[in-house]
Amino acid sequence: MVSFPATDAVDPADATLSDHELMLAVRDGELDALGELFERHHGPLYGFLVKFTGQRTAAEDIVQTVFQRMLKYRHTYRDEGNFTAWMYHLARRCAADHFRKSNAAPAATDPADLQDHADDAPHAGDRAATSDDHALLHTALSRLDRDDREVLLLSRFQELPFAEIAAVLECSVGAAKVRAHRALRELRDTYFQLQQERLT
Amino acid sequence: MNCTQAQERFADLLDARRTGPDHAAVRAHLASCPACQREYATLARTLAALDALPAAPPSPALRRNFYAMLEEEKLAAAGRPAAFRRPRPALRSALWRWILAPAAAGTLAIAAFLAGTRYAPPAAAPGLDPATKRELAELRARVDSVGQLVGYSLLQQRSTSERLQGVLATLDRKDPSQKVLSDLIGALALDPSANVRLSALDALYPHANQQLVRSGVLASLPREQNPLVQVAMIDFLVAARDHAAAPELGRMARNETLDRAVRDAAQRGLAQL
Ligand SMILES: [Zn+2]
Repeated sequence: MVSFPATDAVDPADATLSDHELMLAVRDGELDALGELFERHHGPLYGFLVKFTGQRTAAEDIVQTVFQRMLKYRHTYRDEGNFTAWMYHLARRCAADHFRKSNAAPAATDPADLQDHADDAPHAGDRAATSDDHALLHTALSRLDRDDREVLLLSRFQELPFAEIAAVLECSVGAAKVRAHRALRELRDTYFQLQQERLT
Repeated sequence: MNCTQAQERFADLLDARRTGPDHAAVRAHLASCPACQREYATLARTLAALDALPAAPPSPALRRNFYAMLEEEKLAAAGRPAAFRRPRPALRSALWRWILAPAAAGTLAIAAFLAGTRYAPPAAAPGLDPATKRELAELRARVDSVGQLVGYSLLQQRSTSERLQGVLATLDRKDPSQKVLSDLIGALALDPSANVRLSALDALYPHANQQLVRSGVLASLPREQNPLVQVAMIDFLVAARDHAAAPELGRMARNETLDRAVRDAAQRGLAQL
């Protein structure tokens, strides 16, 4: 790999630095440290946003905007902050902007847009069925209330403790858990119903 | 434990974090209650499907756009006079980082190509044929009259990152057309983003042996306001051994209104030419 001259005290590629330390460095003017944070987090964040918006281009736009806002608002990052929670907090606001602008329910998911997600079936013979299942699940997700979809998807990020999800959503831990579980039951009902419809 | 109590605890049981209290009682109920087993199994299956939903990686444009945006912000920060100390090493390292970030073989090949040609002495300038002269005159006219200048194709891309991609897309052409080169010079002369202008200059390096390219850079130099870009352009002309640049460098070296670093670079360049 190519090495780059270190010009400052913080080596932004230092894998031993925590997210929080890197973001503090960004706040204090070492902007290159954001590159390492991007490398660590943009994949999972993108995955969350694809499921949340149902649109890959929108998900990419929002990821870009989130990191843009991290730079713009870097001075507001606090000493006791939590980077992941902050990132999802920003992502949530950016997604809200996106939905307001597009003014369209995310039910506008274009299955073709997501179709190539479904090419990882372990056996070629299962591929068609699996791909259909993925499409059904995407459809079921898109039919959830936006807030329900959000809390459910957040709850599946194991690196995000419920306390932080609650902070992101500005509710109590108990409320976040209840909402996530209710959303799961709704998703299950829609998903199974869609599967039934396909069979008949 | 009854069914309602058991099902109230399913959320904890299904949460992979497993931070909830002991689940022994729930499991005992599950073992003996088919209705709850069904409820639990369908929820678990749905979650498994949700977790297994494949996520294709984002397009390479996302990473490119991110590093372009980061560069832009760093340039904006560096553009403030107090921060104008060691811009070039930082700038270079970061530029290389986002050019190399995808680490694709093709990208590395381009980088190697650039590295190999960048500081090689340019070939002797060929004599100007009439067509080139015409193109050059036209280009000068375009560079000189900013007002009507939106003609060049890169400017029609809306966002900075899109224009930057336009510039980067030219990097893998070993033998770009005159149109591509003139677009790059147009970007260098006219693009509102310093980052795009610097990238255009980078893309022009392998073609510094062409008279058209050197003249385009020279024609753009008086218009440039950003000290970072000014210094990069001076370096370019000096590396290309463009003696036609000497008068302009002389003017810049004496111009007290220019940034100190720019005047120094012009002075150094004059000595080398
Ligand atoms: Zn039961």
